[in-house]
Amino acid sequence: MSNREIVVENLGKEYAGGVTAVRDVSFQVNSGQIFGFLGPNGAGKSTTIKILTTLALPTRGVARVGGFDVVSQADQVRRIAGVALQEIGIDPLMKSAELLSMQGRMFGASRQEAANRAEELLRLVRLEDAKGRRVGTYSGGMRRRLDLALALVHKPEILFLDEPTTGLDPASRRDVWEEVRRLNRELGMTIFLTTQYLEEADELADVVAIIDNGAIAIEGSPAKLKASVGTESINVAFDSRETAENARAQLSDMADTIQTDRDTVRLYMNQAAQTIPAVVTRLQQANLNPISLTLTQPTLDDVFLQVTGQRLQADAAQPQAA
Amino acid sequence: MTTPDLAAQSAYGRSDRKQAKASLPVQILLVTWRNLVTIFRTPVALVPPLVISIFFLVIYESTLGKAANFIPNLSGNSYLGFILPLSIVSSSLSGSGIAAQNMVRDIESGYFDKLLLTPVSRAALLLGPILAGAVILGIQATVVIVFALLLGLESATGFAGLAAVVGLSILLGTGFAGFTVSAALGSGSAAATQGASFLFFPLTFLTASFVPLELLDGWLQTAAKINPITYVLEAMRGLLNTGWDSAALTQGIAACLILGLAMYTLAVFALRVRTRRS
Repeated sequence: MSNREIVVENLGKEYAGGVTAVRDVSFQVNSGQIFGFLGPNGAGKSTTIKILTTLALPTRGVARVGGFDVVSQADQVRRIAGVALQEIGIDPLMKSAELLSMQGRMFGASRQEAANRAEELLRLVRLEDAKGRRVGTYSGGMRRRLDLALALVHKPEILFLDEPTTGLDPASRRDVWEEVRRLNRELGMTIFLTTQYLEEADELADVVAIIDNGAIAIEGSPAKLKASVGTESINVAFDSRETAENARAQLSDMADTIQTDRDTVRLYMNQAAQTIPAVVTRLQQANLNPISLTLTQPTLDDVFLQVTGQRLQADAAQPQAA
Repeated sequence: MTTPDLAAQSAYGRSDRKQAKASLPVQILLVTWRNLVTIFRTPVALVPPLVISIFFLVIYESTLGKAANFIPNLSGNSYLGFILPLSIVSSSLSGSGIAAQNMVRDIESGYFDKLLLTPVSRAALLLGPILAGAVILGIQATVVIVFALLLGLESATGFAGLAAVVGLSILLGTGFAGFTVSAALGSGSAAATQGASFLFFPLTFLTASFVPLELLDGWLQTAAKINPITYVLEAMRGLLNTGWDSAALTQGIAACLILGLAMYTLAVFALRVRTRRS
């Protein structure tokens, strides 16, 4: 039985040819936690998850999954870890019940046990009605649900979900969330999750870590991270990036942190509402005319932007106007 | 969502998890079964090698059958029995691509990686598609032989000889599958795998394809003597036309084994590279 923890110390990965995918990553996921692992494309997210799931070797550092070393005890790691990778590797010619049974039997289940388990999981991910159909005829959402079921076949104690809801419609996404929470709550499964949707991390994760440039940039509970970027921000949009840069220069002394994101200037501060008149006055004096001005409560998206200097995904970024 | 009992204890859950994996024979059976299922779900893929073989058989027999009277040293008296082995050999060489096609499909779909996340052994990953391919090779050879029987083939060694021809064909095709599978593992691309299987072309024609070995021109005779296919053809021809000849049969089997050994050395190496964690 594993200790259901993930411990990563100074993990590094350099590919042949000198490309550094992961520079120096350390973090710990405690037993029964849901851990949200975020980062822009190319930051080292996928490589880290590949190392943790035994598909790739680190070139530096140590990683233990459930107490087992990912390098020297890969087989043990595979037995206690369930993995749903971003690229859904399922054979389109097979039927879902067949894939689930076969996977179960690989893990040593008898024919009967494997068949029962397949039924159970198909019910869980609501694919019972489609179990006789070839996987090739499934929709994207159905394939993802099957992939989740495949990751659960051997009753893992630690579950790795690489972007489990990407490409799903909002209703299916909520279903997956509910399922993840239930697996975590009822079975005490430790869950390591990457996502493109910060809302998802906020919703699910106990702890969030943001990886940037191959190293962990910030780590903590969503509430703590949101509080750390200031309680609020004032966002002023202009007609061009140049005007925004100009405005940023004018407003630089008015906020704790100030950033431009394309044509929008963001001022992070406490009690932002009270500062709005001063901001407006300053812009008028400088003869800069904003197109819009909004007040934003901080979200994980803001944390991400502040830490990495970019949005996680353009269409996922929907700051809530206050 | 419903609430099935996920926490239920089971032989392969929790407690004895460290031992939780299928035995190697079971793993091999599972992967073989899985490959056969997908092969039979795309039966169209089986048609071309079969049609080509039967087509060749009919064309060669009709074109050269009458001329055969003028070919000296033709063992036995039936050109059909002489040319059938060529048709069977080409069907087993081109049919050997099925194992590789299956493997490359799994690599491309990512299912191969998915299997690597289970405690599956590498041997099972390699042998599964190959054994499934062997089943198909047997079926193909049988179909071609049945067709030849309909054309009037008379086996000098009876039913047992025909079964031996099928056996040789499986042995040869399975050995050659080591090569196509290596290409699949090495390239991970369907197109490259397809390309590699064209090696069957020189193998089937740089040999005593249409006339006995002694009648070949100097350079071609040299090439044919090196080509292991020559000995497989000789063995099959002996069985069909002249009778049991243990020397020819041994040479045929040895040729298959040598070819197979070389190809599987390559395949094991390619598998290592493919499944190496880097």
